[in-house]
Amino acid sequence: MPAIRICAMIAAAASLAVPSIAAAPDTVKARQDNFKSMGRSMKLISDELRKDAPGFAIVRREAAALERAGARIGRLFPKGTGAEAGVKTGARAAIWSQPAGFRTAAVNLNTATKGLRAAAAGTDVGRIRAALGATGGTCKGCHDKFRVPD
Amino acid sequence: MNGLIMNGLTTVRLWDWPVRLVHWVMALLIPALWWTAEQGMIEQHRILGLTMLQLVVFRVIWGLVGSDTARFTHFVRGPAAILAYLRGRGGDTLGHSPLGALSVMALLTVIGAQLVLGLVAQDEYGLIAGPLNHLISYEQAEAATELHKTLFNAVAAFAGLHILAVLFYQFAKRTNLIGPMLTGRKQVQAGTPQPRLAGWRTQVIALALAAAIVGWIAAGAPPS
Repeated sequence: MPAIRICAMIAAAASLAVPSIAAAPDTVKARQDNFKSMGRSMKLISDELRKDAPGFAIVRREAAALERAGARIGRLFPKGTGAEAGVKTGARAAIWSQPAGFRTAAVNLNTATKGLRAAAAGTDVGRIRAALGATGGTCKGCHDKFRVPD
Repeated sequence: MNGLIMNGLTTVRLWDWPVRLVHWVMALLIPALWWTAEQGMIEQHRILGLTMLQLVVFRVIWGLVGSDTARFTHFVRGPAAILAYLRGRGGDTLGHSPLGALSVMALLTVIGAQLVLGLVAQDEYGLIAGPLNHLISYEQAEAATELHKTLFNAVAAFAGLHILAVLFYQFAKRTNLIGPMLTGRKQVQAGTPQPRLAGWRTQVIALALAAAIVGWIAAGAPPS
């Protein structure tokens, strides 16, 4: 049955050429969930720092979670998961057209969250707050370039 | 100022200075709040928002204990009075008309709601947040922040309607509402009694009470 074989080959070729199109909505959801978890962690740390007696265990836990989530970003933006895939996303095309810049932005975040985790190992609220501010700054730095403004 | 009778008219002090000051500072704050939000100047937006909160809290207190024309009991009227006023059978009232009262209450309500949302709102970086943001979850705060952005349209709509109404009175009905809101004074029929004005002690107490409430909120509403 050559027709079937040809169809199968075309399907296989198509799936190889654009492997992420079928999975784009899932990828978009995964990365949005990842960013939301980061926002949640930022707020939880911020909330603790406002208290007279911050819960440093929570700060440590969320700082570690932030570092892990930040490390995932590099894998959450495969080609073909931008607006051109027909998905609702705030990801700008610049992510894929300026991969070096995007990578730098992600590395900046990873560096900042590492610093935050180091600060969170202690109980110096001023130091943790500064590290949290630096982390938030890398979020904003990336969003300004690579995310569609509200 | 009392007396000054001429042509059967007399001048009364209609609006006390707290009412006028609150009004005009609000009129400046609304565009300033919009602008700082648009520009992402969130720290300035937060400070202006707390200033607006101070004004609204003070105005509500003033609506309970202030001068006659500032009091809610003096100007808030039911639907029957509003309908009668619309049909031109309201008679002359000194101060807000029954319809104007709706304008005052609508603006106070929508600005009050906007303030509550702003108090719990957050930027997405966990860096700047309203002073009461810690009382709710991240998801709730995200929703409140979205609503805060949307509700501004209602603030703008009510403020715009208010301005159009004032212009309508100015040009179609030949009634100058802007002058008295600036000077506090209005020419009325001789014999019209001067509305009672609140004294300086009431002003100081109302200001201090509003400052205490807003200070407590700005500090994150600590329980003790």
